[in-house]
Amino acid sequence: MSDPIAISGIGIVSPLGISLASFAPRLFAGDCGIAPLTLFATGEGGPRLAAQVDGFRPQDYLRPATARRMDRLSQMVAAAARMAQDDAGLPIDAGNRDHIGVTVGTCFGGTDVAATFGKVLFDEGPRRVNPILVPNTVMNAPAGHLAIEFGVRGVNTTVNHREVAAETAIGHAAALLRRGRAAAIFSGGGDILSPFAMTVFARFAALSPGDAGEEGAFPFDRRANGLVLGEGAAILCLEPLSRARARGVRPYCLLAGCGMASAPAPATGWPTSPEGSVLAMQRALAAAGIEAAQVDVVCASANGAPALDRLEALAIAQVFAGSRPRVVAEKGALGEGLSSGATRAAAMALSLRDQRLAPVVGLSQPIADFDFVRKGDAEKRPLRYGLLNGIAAGGTFVALIFKAMEEGEGQ
Amino acid sequence: MERRRVVVSGMGTVNAAGCGSVDFVQSLRQGRSGIGPVSVFDTALYRTHLGGEVRDFRPGELLPRGIPRRHMSRCDLMAMVAAFEALGDAGLRPLPQALQKAMGVVIGGGAGGMLECEEVYRRWLEGKARPSFAPFASFGCAATADHLAATLGLMGPKTTFMTACSSGATAIGYACDLVRDGFAEVMLAGGAEPLCRITYSAFNALQAVDAAPCRPFDKNRQGLNLGEGAAILVLEEAGHALRRGAVIYGEVLGCGVSCDAHHMTAPDPEGGGAILAMSRALADAGVSPQQVDYINAHGTATPTNDPIETKAIKTLFGPHAVRLAVSSTKAITGHTLGAAGAIEAVVSLLAIHHRFIPPTLRHEEPDPQCDLDYVSEGARDREVDIVLSNSFAFGGNNTALLFGRYREGGHRDV
Repeated sequence: MSDPIAISGIGIVSPLGISLASFAPRLFAGDCGIAPLTLFATGEGGPRLAAQVDGFRPQDYLRPATARRMDRLSQMVAAAARMAQDDAGLPIDAGNRDHIGVTVGTCFGGTDVAATFGKVLFDEGPRRVNPILVPNTVMNAPAGHLAIEFGVRGVNTTVNHREVAAETAIGHAAALLRRGRAAAIFSGGGDILSPFAMTVFARFAALSPGDAGEEGAFPFDRRANGLVLGEGAAILCLEPLSRARARGVRPYCLLAGCGMASAPAPATGWPTSPEGSVLAMQRALAAAGIEAAQVDVVCASANGAPALDRLEALAIAQVFAGSRPRVVAEKGALGEGLSSGATRAAAMALSLRDQRLAPVVGLSQPIADFDFVRKGDAEKRPLRYGLLNGIAAGGTFVALIFKAMEEGEGQ
Repeated sequence: MERRRVVVSGMGTVNAAGCGSVDFVQSLRQGRSGIGPVSVFDTALYRTHLGGEVRDFRPGELLPRGIPRRHMSRCDLMAMVAAFEALGDAGLRPLPQALQKAMGVVIGGGAGGMLECEEVYRRWLEGKARPSFAPFASFGCAATADHLAATLGLMGPKTTFMTACSSGATAIGYACDLVRDGFAEVMLAGGAEPLCRITYSAFNALQAVDAAPCRPFDKNRQGLNLGEGAAILVLEEAGHALRRGAVIYGEVLGCGVSCDAHHMTAPDPEGGGAILAMSRALADAGVSPQQVDYINAHGTATPTNDPIETKAIKTLFGPHAVRLAVSSTKAITGHTLGAAGAIEAVVSLLAIHHRFIPPTLRHEEPDPQCDLDYVSEGARDREVDIVLSNSFAFGGNNTALLFGRYREGGHRDV
């Protein structure tokens, strides 16, 4: 039996709080991170809500000299990694720094920097652009900065594939660890709110509108009328269970399998058939060596975009036709954070350790007959296996299977 | 459990020095450079005007009839042309239905649909019109893989890496692991990159660009020339390829990935990350340094890259460093950033298959800090069994791929 891959540390910068200590209670209480956007001015009459990160102080986690060179996204990712490292009690030194890796997923990267750079390019001409900005316009900036901050020279990659970038980065990390390509990997993802992202999503009419109907994120709800953008970063410390155990660390849970699939979809839209999502979930179950009926909780990708929610509801119903797992949909509280898979993976890890689930925020009239988690629910069953489902516009699907620690395991 | 081996059974490329690998191999043999004036956008206000542009690119004529091209960027279309060439080359056109469900695609990206987005962005900044935002569906790098999978009906694993100038190599290494691990029998993998204003101005601002055609490893090198293009490989489990009688260009023997953890744009002066990536590729393959015949260098022709890469090769290969051949084909293609690792994977496999080593163009005056055999005199005909391909990037992201002639017994030595 090979060494299972464990989640031994979590760091988080989210609309529901910075650090696990502030995130966890608010998540499980069913608090909502969505509020009027104050980071920057939004267009007249357009959407005005977002799930923004407030009170983030990078200097609390990062060296001033390095933090100064980072864009906001890189700061969030690096700060989350620092929290994950502390949480995992993983010392980084000359002896292990070449064997510690980084895999980060991002959908848009540091678009705020790219926009600033581009504005000068087009307003003032190519000879006026600022070279200092260049490194932070590139999607791999957070992973590069994080490596510099930690001094880690192990495998280092950035996944840049829309809304499943973080799920993919986490699955990739597990595969790298199983192949012995690293001893530990800081893996997750992040995205930020920016006028650029708001404009693009608004132009594609993807946002819950500010000028018609009720604005908000209503995953799996009849009121669903588009998504609300969010931001944040989460990083997990992944390592073989034996290594965590050797340090005396009890991991949150294990990462038991990853399944990936593709299916045709409109260039800017969600696929119409659930087939791709079904395939990804089935492949993840097969990779973990379990049956669908063994899954106790599904963390859905639903974000209040009606087409996505319907598609995912069909896929979940098909995969879990013979069972009735609990269903959570955290984008009602966190917004569509784009690389939200990392934050949702952090929530799943907490759920499996603490045997608690987050109520679905924004759900009152469900479009599917699932055992949704509601506020005030008592936990109905022990949580042993959790499936995290990721779906991206353009037809990309990633599902991850998490497994709770057994009694005595990891002691 | 028997170790699953991964071979390359098809290749396709579009770049400044060749449309199709047959054309490209001629350029590599003859040392024909694709670097010339950039015309995809107006360079009048820029400091430099050259690039490795894909001239007269007519995807409509290069793609099979009936392939929809709506919403595809120049970048997507270059990848699409390369993918169809690769599949045809592999004898997989039409793609058997039985393969579609498990076959996937991994792309290493760069600017993606940026060239088209720039137009929209410029108009948006002007604040006047309400331009169509349709090109933003290709913002970021994911659109290329999405279009490839949708057009070909692929339902296997699909993703996109963005590790800047090493993206293409990172994508190939990852896809290779997916096949090794049994998640797919056949994968498409490669990279694509368009020339665009943002990238062109960024590299100019960093003063990394030579206004004249670049001179890798030459004493008077002044920097790189940006390029564009795409390259796609068909990666296939060896037994699968053998059973269907496919032509095998070579085997993906190993992949090594590392990070400098030194600086976002400047390489580690000791070449620490580069050494780690190369040594990991060798270790992954179980190949000793003495077995390597040829290194397709990162060789950007920037003042810093070339001596540091040379130093790293010397540190890792010891006395063998002076015996092996090292060349940079970026003087032929330009530096195609996200596509470079994939285009240079094609170069490596063409070298093995056609038994020659491509030259380093314009390497005239030796630099005491760059003192290896850079194949300056022109292409060299010789047996080439094992090739190492280096890709180093901003962010300190290094990827090295090791390719070998396919042999039943393999090349494992250690």
